[in-house]
Amino acid sequence: MTELSAFNAPSSGEKKEFWRWDETAWVDESRDWRSAKVLTCGIDVGSVSSQCVICADGELYAYNSMRTGSNSPDSATNAFAGVTARTGLTVPDVQFVVGTGYGRVNVPFSHKAITEIACHARGANKMGGNSVRTILDMGGQDCKAIHCDEKGKVTNFLMNDKCAAGTGRGMEVISDLMQIPIAELGQRSFEVDVEPEAVSSVCVVFAKSEALAMLKAGYTKNKVVAAYCQAMAERVVSLLGRIGVEEGFFITGGIAKNPGVVKRIERLLGIKAMETKIDSQIAGAYGAALFAHTLVLKQGAAKPLAAAA
Amino acid sequence: MNDGLFDPFKTWYEKRHDYARDWKARTGGQVVATMCTYTPEELLIAAGMLPVRVLGAHEPQNVTEPHVFGMFCPFCRDSLAQGLLNRFDYAEGVTLTQSCIQYRQSFASWRMHVPTVKWDYYVPMPNEVQSRHARLAHYGEVKKFRDFLGKLTGQPLSEEALAEAVEVVNENRRLLRQLFDYRKQPNPNVTGLEALYASLSAQFVDKREHNALLRKVLAALPSRRLERPEGVRVMTIGSENDDCGFMAMIESVGATIVIDDQCSGTRYFWNEAKPNGDPIKAIADRYIDRPACPTKDYPAHTRFDHVLGLAKDYNARAAIFLQQKFCDPHEGDYPDLKRHLEANGIPTLFLEFDITNPLGPFRIRVEAFLETLSEEELF
Repeated sequence: MTELSAFNAPSSGEKKEFWRWDETAWVDESRDWRSAKVLTCGIDVGSVSSQCVICADGELYAYNSMRTGSNSPDSATNAFAGVTARTGLTVPDVQFVVGTGYGRVNVPFSHKAITEIACHARGANKMGGNSVRTILDMGGQDCKAIHCDEKGKVTNFLMNDKCAAGTGRGMEVISDLMQIPIAELGQRSFEVDVEPEAVSSVCVVFAKSEALAMLKAGYTKNKVVAAYCQAMAERVVSLLGRIGVEEGFFITGGIAKNPGVVKRIERLLGIKAMETKIDSQIAGAYGAALFAHTLVLKQGAAKPLAAAA
Repeated sequence: MNDGLFDPFKTWYEKRHDYARDWKARTGGQVVATMCTYTPEELLIAAGMLPVRVLGAHEPQNVTEPHVFGMFCPFCRDSLAQGLLNRFDYAEGVTLTQSCIQYRQSFASWRMHVPTVKWDYYVPMPNEVQSRHARLAHYGEVKKFRDFLGKLTGQPLSEEALAEAVEVVNENRRLLRQLFDYRKQPNPNVTGLEALYASLSAQFVDKREHNALLRKVLAALPSRRLERPEGVRVMTIGSENDDCGFMAMIESVGATIVIDDQCSGTRYFWNEAKPNGDPIKAIADRYIDRPACPTKDYPAHTRFDHVLGLAKDYNARAAIFLQQKFCDPHEGDYPDLKRHLEANGIPTLFLEFDITNPLGPFRIRVEAFLETLSEEELF
């Protein structure tokens, strides 16, 4: 098969969705939520993915990460339902729910909405420790550079303007175009003889014509992916450059799982991102659940607003 | 609950073209499209005309590309579009007083290409208002404008008509400041959006009518209470901004706009002309002395302390820059003004505005900014 045949539609059978990333769920099996004094929930309804995080006594207990559906309330409810299925925990069992992400005001059972900027900083502070000072949140359709203090409180931030190029959705498009499973993109981007220059445009709309031109010019698919990863890295580094990068650099969001972008960012910045064992994609919901925990300690439990499915 | 007190200002703003047409029909007077708030409107009022400031429509347009560059500020393009789309077909005249070079090209294109224009006039006001020659130079230009209008109407502008116009415009300025003073109070009973409707409508409604409504509103304000949380008291800074949807959004997410430094707000009406026996001198000096737009604020940056003073007087806790994309004068001031405010305890947020604006992403930025100033209970 030639590399160009990547663009040929399959002649028969079901089309594989290469962009589809794994939906994940996790529960701390060593604990029982029923013995926790304070149970809180963070729901992050993002443009591409939605997460539900449960904290038991301020520590991560369970999470569910899945694709955002056609509306925010259902996405929030489904994200919670994923935790319920594994733990039996329901919304009335939780003392406080904080909604975040672009759908934060549409979480039907949340008591408070907090921006994803604040929540990612708080989540990163917990995941990476209180030495985290610069957070790069690479989400589905936007990219945020955030500075925070030792408590995880935001001190400054910048977001990409208007255009979603160089974000998670863009990576999904490339995955489908190259017919490479999205989880493999990062590794494949390193399997090149010579590191290519960045593509001239990371525009998702023009991605197909840009990629086709590169394949015609003799690029392998891996090299095309490498050129895209490099372009995305350059784009977010320019955003970071506007706000400055302090030591204690932490990356959150789905693209943090793509070493093809992360390692190139590290190379461009000359700084290594802090590592975590926790799924970077849940940072926003984790931060929301931690805020909820603090609010319960300071204000007491809130009354459930509505039951999830 | 909305008591409707400011609804007439809002209606004027939303139906401003209907208002101007109606004014023309009932008075028989001429309407003049004015570009830039440095226009000495007192002269137009003394000549029996209605000055109507050109504002944009905040909607996509494709008519200005052949006339001005795409990298001219959105206000330049949106303003010119209104003329080219014949939205000001009731205005016989168009006039510009020199401020920025981009807007001058919008004016030049308007006067050449808007078919309903019968006359135009450009007032070459000095930009270096701090020069010792500026007052005399502008005095001469205002005088020339007076002569032009006299010849145009066949009726020289009398000293009495000019003095009366100065008084009616001064009263408007005075009343607007009284209205804005209510915003100094804790949990003010005038929102930023309401104040904006009042200051914007003053720029195209007959001043006598506007004064009458202001008096009525001011009489009702002492007993008015707003059942809304004050949130963070913020100031807005920028050039022209009448994106009312944006202002409403700010005030819906935990903030109250308590003061501004914009030409759609305080810069338009802040200072009065000082009658001194020579109305032309009083008018000319008033525009030299007004709170400066960045185009007229050099070599000394007088507006930096003026802006900080407003923030302090109105107890603003933070400031939001509403930067029109490609507006060079304001962009030039921004880094130093930001530093000046932040060094004096006023944190800032920068947002870049276009003809149409992405309210959703702006909302995230504003909310996140407000969270950095509050939400102490979260930590």
